[in-house]
Amino acid sequence: MDKWKFNLAQKQSMITSATAAVAAFLVLVLVALSFFIFIRGGNFFWPQNIHTIVYKRQDETLQTHFVRLDAKTMRVDEELLHFRYSSPEQLFDGQLTLNESNIISSEAAPSVAVVALKNGGSVIAKVTSITDFQGKRVGIEQFAKVTEQIDEYLQTINFVRQGELADIHRGLAAMDKRGVDEDAPARVKLAKRYYQLQDVIENVERKLDGYVLSVEFADNTSYPLFMQNVSEFYYPNEMNVGEKFLFALSAFGSFISDAPKLNNTSGGVFPALFGTIVMVLLMTILVTPFGVLAAVYLYEYAPQNKTTALIRISVNNLAGVPSIVYGVFGLGFFVFVVGESIDNILFGDDLNSTTFGAPGIFWASLTMAILTLPVVIVATEEGLRRVPQSLRDGSYALGATQAETIFKMILPIASPGIMTGVILAIARGAGEVAPLMLVGAVKFAPALPVDTEFPFVHLQRQFMHLGVLIYDGAFHSQNIGNGSSFIFACCLLLLLIVLSLNLIAIFIRNRLRKQYAQN
Amino acid sequence: MLKLFEHDKLDVNNLKPEQIAIEVKQLNLHFGQKQVLEDVNMAIPKNQVTALIGQSGCGKSSLISCFNRMNDLLHDCEVSGQVIISGQDIYHRKQNVATLRTQVGMVFQKPNPFPMSVFDNVSYGLKLQGVNERRKLDDAVEQALRETGLWTEVRDRLFESALTLSGGQQQRMVIARALALKPEILLLDEPTSALDPLATLHIEELLNQLKAQHTVIIVTHNMQQAARVSDYTAFIHQGKVIEYSDSDSLFTMPKQKRTESYITGRYG
Amino acid sequence: MAYIEINTHISVGFNKELENLKNSVLTMGGLLEQQLNDTLQALKTNNAGLAEKVVINDKEINSMEIQIDEECMRIIARRHPTASDLRLIMTIAKAIADIERMGDEIERIAKLISSSKVPDSDSLKSNMLVIGEHVLAMLKDTLDAFARLDLEAAQQTYQNDEEIDAQYKDLLSITILEMQQHSDELENWLEVLWALRSFERIGDRCKNVCEYVMFLVNGSDNRHT
Repeated sequence: MDKWKFNLAQKQSMITSATAAVAAFLVLVLVALSFFIFIRGGNFFWPQNIHTIVYKRQDETLQTHFVRLDAKTMRVDEELLHFRYSSPEQLFDGQLTLNESNIISSEAAPSVAVVALKNGGSVIAKVTSITDFQGKRVGIEQFAKVTEQIDEYLQTINFVRQGELADIHRGLAAMDKRGVDEDAPARVKLAKRYYQLQDVIENVERKLDGYVLSVEFADNTSYPLFMQNVSEFYYPNEMNVGEKFLFALSAFGSFISDAPKLNNTSGGVFPALFGTIVMVLLMTILVTPFGVLAAVYLYEYAPQNKTTALIRISVNNLAGVPSIVYGVFGLGFFVFVVGESIDNILFGDDLNSTTFGAPGIFWASLTMAILTLPVVIVATEEGLRRVPQSLRDGSYALGATQAETIFKMILPIASPGIMTGVILAIARGAGEVAPLMLVGAVKFAPALPVDTEFPFVHLQRQFMHLGVLIYDGAFHSQNIGNGSSFIFACCLLLLLIVLSLNLIAIFIRNRLRKQYAQN
Repeated sequence: MLKLFEHDKLDVNNLKPEQIAIEVKQLNLHFGQKQVLEDVNMAIPKNQVTALIGQSGCGKSSLISCFNRMNDLLHDCEVSGQVIISGQDIYHRKQNVATLRTQVGMVFQKPNPFPMSVFDNVSYGLKLQGVNERRKLDDAVEQALRETGLWTEVRDRLFESALTLSGGQQQRMVIARALALKPEILLLDEPTSALDPLATLHIEELLNQLKAQHTVIIVTHNMQQAARVSDYTAFIHQGKVIEYSDSDSLFTMPKQKRTESYITGRYG
Repeated sequence: MAYIEINTHISVGFNKELENLKNSVLTMGGLLEQQLNDTLQALKTNNAGLAEKVVINDKEINSMEIQIDEECMRIIARRHPTASDLRLIMTIAKAIADIERMGDEIERIAKLISSSKVPDSDSLKSNMLVIGEHVLAMLKDTLDAFARLDLEAAQQTYQNDEEIDAQYKDLLSITILEMQQHSDELENWLEVLWALRSFERIGDRCKNVCEYVMFLVNGSDNRHT
């Protein structure tokens, strides 16, 4: 029987093991989460090898495609493979889902290229030749030169359209306004110039249309792509790991700097990234003074009685309110009540479109600030509590008033605590999606909240948000292929943003800690 | 007869008005229901070191915190009676407490340097007074640090954190911080109880020098310290001043039995 | 060898107090020296007035003893001296008792001179002067040793007492011989014996002071060894 009794040391070590096991599980979850997001998100940027597969269709006929593997999923007992392929009918969104048993053969296809189009799509096909506008065949090796030529043409068109043509339009419009005769010489002259320029553009466009990149699919059908739609092509099978990595990096670069394409399933996420960051920063600017001042009142000034205790409990409970409730509050109060009142006061009857009375980034930030306020208040109070009474006494004894003591001594010392609150607020604010969709975040916003147009900061504008993009992608793109890769890429980016905002805040906090270290 | 030793002693019960720094009249102090000080009457001589001794909780710390109204910060603390400094009752309703505290400096038990540089610490009080001129601050800081004998030790580290100083240096810096405001009176609430014996002696010697410019009042648990450092000593017991006289007499021939018992370490 | 440095305390006040205390002992010793010197002078010149002055001056020495005693007590109460400081104060407290008693012995001799009871014997007088000078020299050495806290000087002076004792014994036998020749003035001669004994006692007390100095400097007690 004694065999089953544990001695004290064994009991101790059991407790240690039990707690260590829990901690290990936690680490495992963290690693798994980051790994999963990283792999699936990274997949979006990584150039996958192209294969030629031959598979059996439902009608038992055989079909051949050049494909790229997007994902694998399990259904009951067999593995489903999700492929992307291109065909004349489905140039860049051909989806193929196959049981593994249906695939007859699969082999690497090194000679097949991925042709990236300017609209964000890509075509998987063999690149055969380039034809110029005179119908002359040009070697594929001339691709760079031809692209340059095409860029030149495009620039010319742009230049003419934006430059002289725009001036003429304005001139004509002005004449219309002044009521200049149809056959006035100046007007005729302008009109003539206008037609001349139109001719030039048409001419160039005709040339542009003449440049064709011929590609060939697996079934040996050839297909012409307009060169002006093609941005580049590459052979993923021929890349080594290093090249693939560099390619992924540059893909990531364009991901964070480009606008979304193809209905938020491809291209970049710059507007969403920008919107997220601006919203978080705006929220931080709003919530920090609010929370700090509230905490200062609660801890330093308010009499420590039941009312204060009640307020404190309420603040703590606010942190537990579901975020969508804040969203509804933001929409119902900020947008419809406050916003519309502002509109009425500012514009009154002249109002032709709602400005502040509609969801926008300011209301979104304000809502998020309210949502994260409890975090900041609680952390700041904790920071204030950590300032020893002896320092307060020291300050009072030197003739400082309470306000001087608070603002010159206590707040600087409590600043690391405040920063902790701000870090938590940022982490929460950057990750929250639900309330944002009610108060200003949209799937597609035509303009950024900050741009070069006066007054530069447009707080009433709607904005794009990574979280919304993910939510939208997860619920609205039904395909599991590239679209889901895009979502995971967004997730990865969101994680990186939260991480880097936190790192910045932690860096600041550590510096403050060092500066105001207690012994 | 040749007089070998000169000891100037004032009779603290019959001081001339110009010799008095603080006059306490009928001071009563209550914390809630508890009476902490009872009918305290004493005159503290100018430019002397006066020590308050007594057991823990006898009210000696409460008494000196009445002198710069630090007890105002405490919850339900009630004061009656008068404390007259420079001819004014500091409990008069027109008294500006912040101004009072610049005139009556205070140093606490544990060194409490602010987590800032030495310079910022010492200039803290002056900056609060609206002195922002760099040269004035520099001069004041140097003078205060010289007064505490700290200047040569810290002049190369003025802009380093005050927390890097040793305990004794910190406490002297805290004293310098109070001195920068040029207070008439300096209150010290057990200033050396957290320090090692040598640092303690340095502080005591410092007090001895400071009395040329300031009136020093020190509360101490340590009778030996009171004996070493003070010119006058008051023994306080259960909120009452039992005996108050020059330290020579008090420590050689106390008049009250309770004083005798306390300073000789007997139960009284 | 212990370190005796009076002037190196952190507390300037304590330094001053110790310095003052030591100086006051030296002042007291100086006065004593002066008294002995005056007494010898009075004996040599039969100057009753000078002897009278010595008797009066002894009060000064007594008052000094009381003052120094009080100061010692005050310093003990206020400064809580330890180690060499404590030994110094204890030494001083004891030494001044001896110095005061020396003053009393000198006063006794001076009284004898002032009352003109010294028998008219040249040999006696010269013998008394010899032992007196010797004692004076010893007193000087003792005070010097104390002033400089000089261990060697104290030890040497300590040895000198034996000579004085021997001298006293010789002088005693000579005096007894003379006494037998002057049996009519026996009362005066008895006084002379007392005076001689006083010289010898001064020597003994100097020896005591030397012992204190040795104790103070050495830190070990070699009395009664």
